[in-house]
This record gives sequence, structure tokens and C-alpha cells, in this order.
Amino acid sequence: MDIFKLDNTYDFVSKIPTAVKFSVLLIVISLGSVIYHGGPNWGVEFTGGTEVQVNFPQGPEVKFIRDSLETQGYQAEAVQQFGLASDHEYLISFSPKVVSFDQIQDFKEKLNEVITTTPEFADAQIQRIDYIGPKIGKELVQKAILSILLACVGILIYLVFRFEFGFAVGAVIALFHDTIITVGAISLMDKEFTLAIVAALLTVIGYSVNDTIVIFDRIRENMAKSLQKSFPNIVNEGVSQTLSRTILTGVTVFIVLIPLFFLGGAVIHDFAFTLIVGVLIGTYSSIFVASAFVVYWRKRKEAEKVM
Amino acid sequence: MRKVSRGWVLTIVLVSLMSLIFLAPTFAGDNLPSWWSKVFPSKGIRLGLDLKGGIFLMLGVQVDDSVEQELNSISEIIKSDLTKSRALVKSSDINGSTLTLNFYSKDDLDKALTAANDNFSNVASINASDLSLRIQLNSAYIGELKKNALTQVKQVIENRVTAFGLVEPSIQTTGNDRILIQVPGASQQDRERIVDLIKKAAVLEFKIVNAAGITEDVILQGQGVTSKEELASKNLEIHPGETGNQNENFFLTEDVAKVTGESISDARISFDNFGRPAVLFRFKGDGATNFGELTGENIGQRLAIVLDGNVKSAPVVNDKITYEGTITGTFTPEEAKDLALVLRSGALPVPVAVEQERSVGPSLGQDSIDKGRLSMIVGGILVIFFMAYFYRLQGIVADIALLLNMLFIMGFLSAFGVTLTLPGIAGLVLTLGMAVDGNIIIFERIKEELANGKSPLAAIEAGYSRSLWTILDANITTLLTALILFWFGTGPIKGFAATLSIGIVSTVFSNVIVARLVTNYFYRDKNVTTVSI
Repeated sequence: MDIFKLDNTYDFVSKIPTAVKFSVLLIVISLGSVIYHGGPNWGVEFTGGTEVQVNFPQGPEVKFIRDSLETQGYQAEAVQQFGLASDHEYLISFSPKVVSFDQIQDFKEKLNEVITTTPEFADAQIQRIDYIGPKIGKELVQKAILSILLACVGILIYLVFRFEFGFAVGAVIALFHDTIITVGAISLMDKEFTLAIVAALLTVIGYSVNDTIVIFDRIRENMAKSLQKSFPNIVNEGVSQTLSRTILTGVTVFIVLIPLFFLGGAVIHDFAFTLIVGVLIGTYSSIFVASAFVVYWRKRKEAEKVM
Repeated sequence: MRKVSRGWVLTIVLVSLMSLIFLAPTFAGDNLPSWWSKVFPSKGIRLGLDLKGGIFLMLGVQVDDSVEQELNSISEIIKSDLTKSRALVKSSDINGSTLTLNFYSKDDLDKALTAANDNFSNVASINASDLSLRIQLNSAYIGELKKNALTQVKQVIENRVTAFGLVEPSIQTTGNDRILIQVPGASQQDRERIVDLIKKAAVLEFKIVNAAGITEDVILQGQGVTSKEELASKNLEIHPGETGNQNENFFLTEDVAKVTGESISDARISFDNFGRPAVLFRFKGDGATNFGELTGENIGQRLAIVLDGNVKSAPVVNDKITYEGTITGTFTPEEAKDLALVLRSGALPVPVAVEQERSVGPSLGQDSIDKGRLSMIVGGILVIFFMAYFYRLQGIVADIALLLNMLFIMGFLSAFGVTLTLPGIAGLVLTLGMAVDGNIIIFERIKEELANGKSPLAAIEAGYSRSLWTILDANITTLLTALILFWFGTGPIKGFAATLSIGIVSTVFSNVIVARLVTNYFYRDKNVTTVSI
């Protein structure tokens, strides 16, 4: 089965100016959204929150506990069984957006009220209620960002060694482009920035680089083969020849992501959302950012040679 | 590679077998025969706190001790200042957040007052009256001291648990003086080890031995005193001995150590002359100088190595030692390894006590776990069908490679003890979606070569060989990223990088070697006229 006619060469290079405008627009929207929302909407792993340890002698179901709290306007972040199942004891945590540090006393009273008015909660005891610090501290976030930047330098060095300088820069620019726009999409949808999202973003970085290199590799192969052709033509050919692979790989990844997105439950849903955006942008940027930059870089280099 | 290479087939069989062995505990659980754990690894894939829960520890941190420590160090600083200006402190006393220094003369008191005002006026209120100087710490500064102590304890514990392996614990401070620790999975044995690791204060001291004896009384008599208090006034202290020598249950040493574990730069497990596990440590900077002085001045004497108040060993100093030393004693290899680990990660600045130790269930609800599992199974099956539908026989080749790839990845995750969380597993399923990328690159290339008029076998050969560097370049770059994240990242980032690295290596192997061998097997007949692709 073929998706595209093999000998067709599509003219991508002529679309570059439009693509640049489109990318700039997306980046402006992304950064604008992040700034408008006052930075990422950090998840409870990064902010800490309030944790309650409660014993329910009547043994209500976890779902019932969750729902009862939610009808009171307290959406629990997690309800975790504590000790043995027969202890009927739970750790219930709340994001600071639900119960802030100053509201803990009020919250405790409110909680006691809920316990006394709900028959299923009879004799329930609040063992402990306190503010808990973040699981992931500032140092860890700083270290993570630093290690990602280091990874970018690593990619740059490897690609300079394997390809040419312009290719390496193009791939790294595409990588930043994809990361910024994906973060922007998360911010626009006002999704929480959790650890799962961080994992998804790292996967997007991997995908973006991978996709770019497959195209670069073909461009390099064609450069060696057809010296008399103009560079934009070589790029058009390279991108066209790998187009069916680009699309097919994108499709298989989507085949996995769609069920994760629709069936996966809350945590997996956001993870899949991030990847869907990331993979779309990553595929687009391999052609219209990374390869486009190489065309621009070549043109400048040739202009310098003429002078 | 035209002929099915025996070496590669053997490699694949071996790797598959190893993966199965590593995975057996994950799937068979407690049904494995009892001899299994003696021969093979008994730990399966470790599931994270979100999926499986684990142990929960609530630590009470004695942050109040940090105030006394601070006052002690203030007292030391003033005393050493006064020594320089030839003044003398009569006595000192710490009560709550107040340090009182008493003097013989008004002159000395004035000198002390100047020294105190110069150094500590911003953190304490300082009063002088009746030949005594009172230094009371501000409440804001006390709050800061306690908060710092809590953060430091958390940091040390984090270092220790992280060094234990890729366990992905959750460590949080709560309130003003507690730390909540959750460690996933942990078997009963691991659990005890982790609790020990966390609780160990790891205060290491080096003291010159005065005497040793079977009972405390023998030592007290030897000094001609009746109580430990009297010893204290002579600046001496008794430590219980844990050297394994029955005649030396107690040691008499000086009370303040000149060298402590604070100046240790590195510690690791080693073995002594008798092949017994020991811990080798190195000093840094001043520690080396001080240790050199201590040993140089006491050649022929015995040096007690005191860990958390107990004498671990008391070797005779034969020579001046500056850089490194060994702690011998009665250790099991695990104990020695853990001791090295806690010495590396530093001592707890203040003592801690385990207030609660319970097991906890998964932090994600069962419904979330079920939904996640369903979505991944659906995704995985769809990819397998898609490949078989789209690429026919070659699609089946890709599917076989994919299934083996999955087996290898899980086997390696199990072997390296990587902790898997729900997003981690979703990432793995996604890896499978991406793993077929290599196959797609190769298959599309084969199609191109066929369209260019190559014969089926030549097209397959060209498809695989020409795609090799594309696949390698693309994956080496990603692997590089993953390895850098592994070396420099911490906590969950490290776990993610480990999973990613394993996934990449296994995927390249499956794409390039496994798929090739299966293809060769399908087209082993030399008179092939068409390629099913």
C-alpha cells in the first residue's frame, strides 16, 4: 500500500515564509498564555497541599468519600488507603487551590461537620491534618531544567559531528519550538503542570529530534548524490521521499495516543493530550522549522562565498 | 546477513531467556518454587506509589536540638575569640534559647560583650550584667534555624533513599517538625533496610582510647571515680563497644572528638585482610590535616572509630594517616554498603524518630489504574493490527520484533530495578508506537528500492542496510539525551531517563537485528519473486 506517489516531489521550501509566520504566531500565543496565567499551573507535586488522615470505622467506599467531599466543594487530589484495608483509614490530600494554608482550621471544622451529618461517616476520626510540602522541590526543578539544557548541548555536539553545523542548530531550534508550543497548549487549556506532563514533554523532545534526524539523513544522502541540483530542490526531494514514513510513524503513534486520550482516565488523559500536541508540532517542525533553517543557513553561507 | 546468522539467533534466544527469568517474579509472584530465589533474582518489576502503594513513615524531627547546637557553636566562637584576647570564661550554661556566659572580671565580660555584639547582634538580643553575658536568640532566627534543620534532614534522607536505587520515594515535610516518607513496593526485608538507612544518624567520630573494659564499672574504678558525671568533669566519656571482642564491651575516650565524619568526602565498601566487609573512607580539606595531626601525635595509641555513639573498631595507630582510613568490625556486606552510603550522604543534623510506620495503598484509585490499563492494551493491539494490515507479511515481521522488544524492555526494567509509575508505563506503550518507526523507515525504503527496479532480495538488502545509519543517528541522539538526563537528573527524571534508555537500546536491537533475521527466515528461498509489503 502506498500513501504517496513515490516520484512526486512536493514543493515545501516555497511554503517556508508562511510557515515562519505561523510558527511565530504560535510561539507568541504560547508565551502570551503562560505569562497571562502567571507561569505554569503547577500540580500538587510541585506546590504541596493539605493532607488529612481519617479513620472511618463504618468502612465507606473510596468513591463515596470522594463524592461526599466533592459535593461540599472539596475536590480531593488523592484518596489513599492507609494501613491495612480492614483499618478503614485513608490519607486524603487537597491541592492548595482547594484548601489553602490559611484555611486549614476552617477546613477542619467543616470536615467535622460533614462527618457528623453523614451517617456513613459515623464515628470517623480525623487523626491528623496538616500542610505538606511539595514532593518535588525547587532544587529538583532547577536540576531538571539544567539537565535538559545540557542534553540540548549534547544533541548539538553529536549533530555537528555527524552532519553540519546548520543542521545541528536547526534541530535544536525545532526542539525549543516544539517544547514552547506544547507548554503553551497546556497553559491555554489551563491543564495542571504535573510530573506526568513533564514526562510527556521529555518524550516530545525525543520524538522531535528523532523525526528531524530521519529527514536530515535523507537530505544528506541526496546532497552526496546530486551535486548539480540546487539546495532547496534537494530539501524538497528529501522531505518528499520521507513523507510517507513521516506520516505513517505519526499515524502509529496516534493509534496509541487516541485510546490513551479517550479511555485512559484523568492522569493518562493529560499525558496523552500533551503528546498529541507535541507529536503534531514535532512532525510539522521537522519540515518547516528544522529543514527550513538549514535552507536559510545554506543560502547565507553561499551568499558569503559569492562575496 | 543473507544467511541467518547463528550468533545473532543465539543472542536473541539468550536475551529472551534472561528477560523471562527477570520477569518471572513479576507475573508468578509468590507461586515461584522456593529454590527460585536461591538461583535467580526474586525481585520483579517495581511498581510506583501511584500503582501499588508501599510503606509510609512519619518521622518526628527534633528541630529544637538545632537551637542548642547553634548556641553551642556561638559559645565556641566567643570562647575562641576571647582566647585570642587573653580573656577567660568561668562557666557557660544553655537554657532554652538563652546562652549565659559567666566571667571572673568585668574586663573579660566587656571583651566578650564586644565579641558578641560584633558577631551576633542581628540574630540575638545581648545583655551584660553582674559578670555574666546573656545571649538570647530572636524568635525569627529560631524559626529559621528549625526550618533549616528540617530541610537539611529532608535533604539527607532524600540522598540516602535515592542512593539506594531507582526507588522513586516521595519525601515531604509536613508541619514544622515532621517528614513524611513513602517508599514504593518494598518487601519486608527492603523495608527494614530502608528504615535503618533513614534512621541512622551516621555521626562518625574519631577519638583516642584511654582504656577498655568488660563492664563500665571496671573502667570507672580504673579512673578512681564512681560515676559518669565525674568522668565528664575530667573530659572523658564511656562508649559501648561493638568490635566483636568480648573483653572490650566498653571504651573510655576523650569526650570531644577532634575529627568527625563531617570532613569525609567519599566512602565505599572494601574488604579487610581477612576478607571481611569493611568501609573505606577519604577525608577532604581540613579533615585530612586534622586527622593527620591526630594520628601523628598518637602513634602507638589506639584510635576509636565511633559511629552513633558505639565504638566500631579501635585499631592501634601505626603511622600518621592523612587521607583515608577503614572502618572494620562485624559487618555483613549489606551493612557495610549501607554504612558507606550514609557516610557519603552525611550525618543527620538533628536526631529523628519514627513516629508511624504503616503500609499505604496506591495513590491512584483502582478505577484510574483500570482505565489506564485498558487504554494501553487497546493502543498496543491497534498498533499490531495496523502494521499487519498495512505491511502484510513485513507487518507481521514488525509485530514479532515488537513483541520481543516488549519482552526485552520489561526484562531489563526488572533487572535494573526501575520503578514504573502509570505515566511511565504509558510512556512505554508509546515507545512501542515509536518503535515501529524503525520498521517503517526500512519498509518504506524497501518499497522505494522495489520501485527503482531492484529484485526482491536486493531491495530487502538495500532497505535494511541503507536505513541502518538513519535509525542509528536518530536513536543515538535520543539515547544521548536520555543518558544526560540520567547522569544529571534526580528523582523521577532519573527514573524516566532509565526507562527511555532501555527502551531505545532494545528498540534498535529489535528493528535492526530481530526484524532482519525474521525477514531472512521468511525469504530464505532464493527464488523469491515478490515481496509481501
